[in-house]
Amino acid sequence: MGKTFVAGTLESSDCLITLSPANTFSLDIDTVVHEAFYEHIKRVIETTLAEENVANVHLRCQDRGALDYTIKARLRTALKKYKEADDG
Amino acid sequence: MARSYLFIPGNVPRMLQNADVFEADALIIDLEDAIAAYEKEEARTLTAEFLRAHRPESVEVYVRINAEDPLFTEDLLSMAPLGIDGVVLPKTTLASLESYRNSLEKHNLDVPVIGLIETPDAFFELLEIARFPSLKGLLLGAEDLSATTGMKRRPGGEELLYCRSRLMLAAKAAGIRAIDTPWTSLDEEALALDIDVANRLGFDGKCAIHPNQVPAINDAFFPSEKELKEARRILKRHEETNSMRFSLDGKMIDKPVVQKAKALLQKAETYRQKGGKP
Repeated sequence: MGKTFVAGTLESSDCLITLSPANTFSLDIDTVVHEAFYEHIKRVIETTLAEENVANVHLRCQDRGALDYTIKARLRTALKKYKEADDG
Repeated sequence: MARSYLFIPGNVPRMLQNADVFEADALIIDLEDAIAAYEKEEARTLTAEFLRAHRPESVEVYVRINAEDPLFTEDLLSMAPLGIDGVVLPKTTLASLESYRNSLEKHNLDVPVIGLIETPDAFFELLEIARFPSLKGLLLGAEDLSATTGMKRRPGGEELLYCRSRLMLAAKAAGIRAIDTPWTSLDEEALALDIDVANRLGFDGKCAIHPNQVPAINDAFFPSEKELKEARRILKRHEETNSMRFSLDGKMIDKPVVQKAKALLQKAETYRQKGGKP
């Protein structure tokens, strides 16, 4: 098992992002609003990953009704921890 | 101008995104005491993304940053470009304000600051602090002050009278805001007493640590109908006599009273526009 990097919570209006290094990209979204927002959440995550120049990770997003800014913030924090560990 | 300053933790999305419905005149998004050491990075990033996407427009927005490096610099550089109304600087002293100014100048930034006065040392340089450039207000932090001095807070706040008076006078002398410390329990009667003391001493507003405290603060700092009626009568008589010195109901009225009446009506108008009393 590789190391994982976590940000966020499972409280209402938040999301918990769990990220681990991988050789390919994979994404697992667990959301209470799957039908209406799965594609939207996926797009927010993919855009943020592109902005941060990160491609190959395994990423899990456990969503509890988070707005876009929260998903972005939690993902950026997890990515920062991952990059710092990678640099270290 | 603001009556109520509501503290909101910077790491709780449901509080941040609902912040503008609590009817506070100002928000203080907290990156300091409300945030555990291991959550500082998360809170700073969440607050920054929130302000970029959803900065509330109808309220003043301040961010309480951390006082010591590396968090101080990281917080300041993250928040300064986000169009906030200012930062709240914990444990403000002349030395910490110098560091604040140097950091901003180094990065070509300019953000007003509210000095959080919560250490005994600060009270002995309060007027110099109040006159520091970019300082927008002085905020009394009675909880940290109590912890340092052994002062015991009680409803009514006799133990704080000297500190409140000194802070209020320094703020007024410098022409900046005097903001009172929050009352930290949800006891409504004690809160009302604490608000009344701050209001009578001449503070401009007060902090809240819970949205339920906001209406009582807003109501108390809104001028009463009796005060407004009296101010209108003074200004009417001033216009009739075209003088700054006249008598009204047997009382002598002079320039400071006329100016105070004008300021009171202006304050009421500002608060009405913010959605205060009709």
